[in-house]
Amino acid sequence: MRLRRLGTAWQLTLRGLLRRRIVLLLFFLVPSLFGGLIVLTTTSRPIQFQLASLGEAVFVTVPQRHEGLVFICLTAVGLLTAFLALDLVQRDAETHRRLVLCGYRPGELVAARLGVLLCVIALVAAYVVSLLPIFFEPERFGLVLLGLILGGWVYGCYGLLVGAVFRRELEGVLFVVLLAAIDVGWLQNPIYYAEAQNQAIIRSLPAYFPAQVSMAAAFTAESVLRPAVGSVVYGAGLLALALLVYVLRMRAGRR
Amino acid sequence: MSHAVLLEARHVAKSFGRRRVLTDATLAVGPGELIGVTGENGSGKTTLLKILARLLRPDAGEFVCDGRLGYCPQAPLVFERLSVTENFAFFAAAYGLEDWPAAMARWADRLRFEPSLGQLVGELSGGTRQKLNLALALMHEPEVLLLDEPYAGFDWETYLGFWELAETLCREGRGVVVVSHFLYDRSRFDRICELVDGVLACG
Repeated sequence: MRLRRLGTAWQLTLRGLLRRRIVLLLFFLVPSLFGGLIVLTTTSRPIQFQLASLGEAVFVTVPQRHEGLVFICLTAVGLLTAFLALDLVQRDAETHRRLVLCGYRPGELVAARLGVLLCVIALVAAYVVSLLPIFFEPERFGLVLLGLILGGWVYGCYGLLVGAVFRRELEGVLFVVLLAAIDVGWLQNPIYYAEAQNQAIIRSLPAYFPAQVSMAAAFTAESVLRPAVGSVVYGAGLLALALLVYVLRMRAGRR
Repeated sequence: MSHAVLLEARHVAKSFGRRRVLTDATLAVGPGELIGVTGENGSGKTTLLKILARLLRPDAGEFVCDGRLGYCPQAPLVFERLSVTENFAFFAAAYGLEDWPAAMARWADRLRFEPSLGQLVGELSGGTRQKLNLALALMHEPEVLLLDEPYAGFDWETYLGFWELAETLCREGRGVVVVSHFLYDRSRFDRICELVDGVLACG
């Protein structure tokens, strides 16, 4: 019965999302636009940087454009999934509360939305990574895809948390934009990161592990296991917090 | 609580910040009873119903509900991007109803919105949306019904049909609480409870 309820919630949440055609269109337009801007504003001049997860001995030298493309792919996936997660939690929040009153468990409704989110993350990451070979062949294509999926996972869970904490859209959007712009849009770029004064702060931000996976996979043959595990654990921590806040919110009126 | 009472609330109080909305609300609903909760705008009628429906936590007081509860909120709480049928499916899953298409057909027929079953809720008129809102509270055959101005947006014929339905539900042994501020509804109730200055006085 619980599985059937979960299946119904997942299916109907996905159907509701698929009916928002403009949102779906933006999911494909935004990465293309971001990628286009990188292609237009960078050159093929080689740049050299280090990746924190690989230690100080490893230097990576790649064309500026290639580095920029991988980084902007992660930015696009992170931003889009965080916004989607925020919307999935905030939209119809009162109707979901009514469903809880009628018998759904809050965890079932969160799990259904997480299921929808994971499907979208996989699709968007696959689409974004499929654009890369137009410009260059990443060292390990499959692991770059994994890095982007992990970026979507961490930022999706962050979006769920922000959506659970803030009831109103504006506060939620601000929190998503502020962190995403600074973290996945700037600080995690290894070109900035290698020169940063306080790397400990940067390493504690959500996009650190996924950025390391994507970059190491795209440009080196080094292992990405540790940052990949770090991404999963970081996202799971955010998800657990989101679930806790959501369940408390949904049960606020119940005795 | 005696077994002749389906829902009982005692000395319920609720404040929002410094504003005391309910200071003492006591109410008992028995099988077959049609109770009207009246009061001026902002008197706390909706707050009281939300507390009884367990959507809000009271600051004080206690209540017991013996049986399934159906709650129809004042503003339709439905999914706009799903069709009417899909909304029924979602709520049926919440209630754990197996044969929900039959329940949907029955209530769509009774409330006269069968032609809208395939439509997206976002495309429905306000009245039809309200009918769906009401049907979702009724589809699991609850013993106690809490209806917060359930006829908002209904045309006159549907409005009269609603009262026939309410009387039928009471004849079937259900307890029905309706929030209303229409004077001409008063004659329809078995009992009227009026909220004045946060105190619920039942006649």
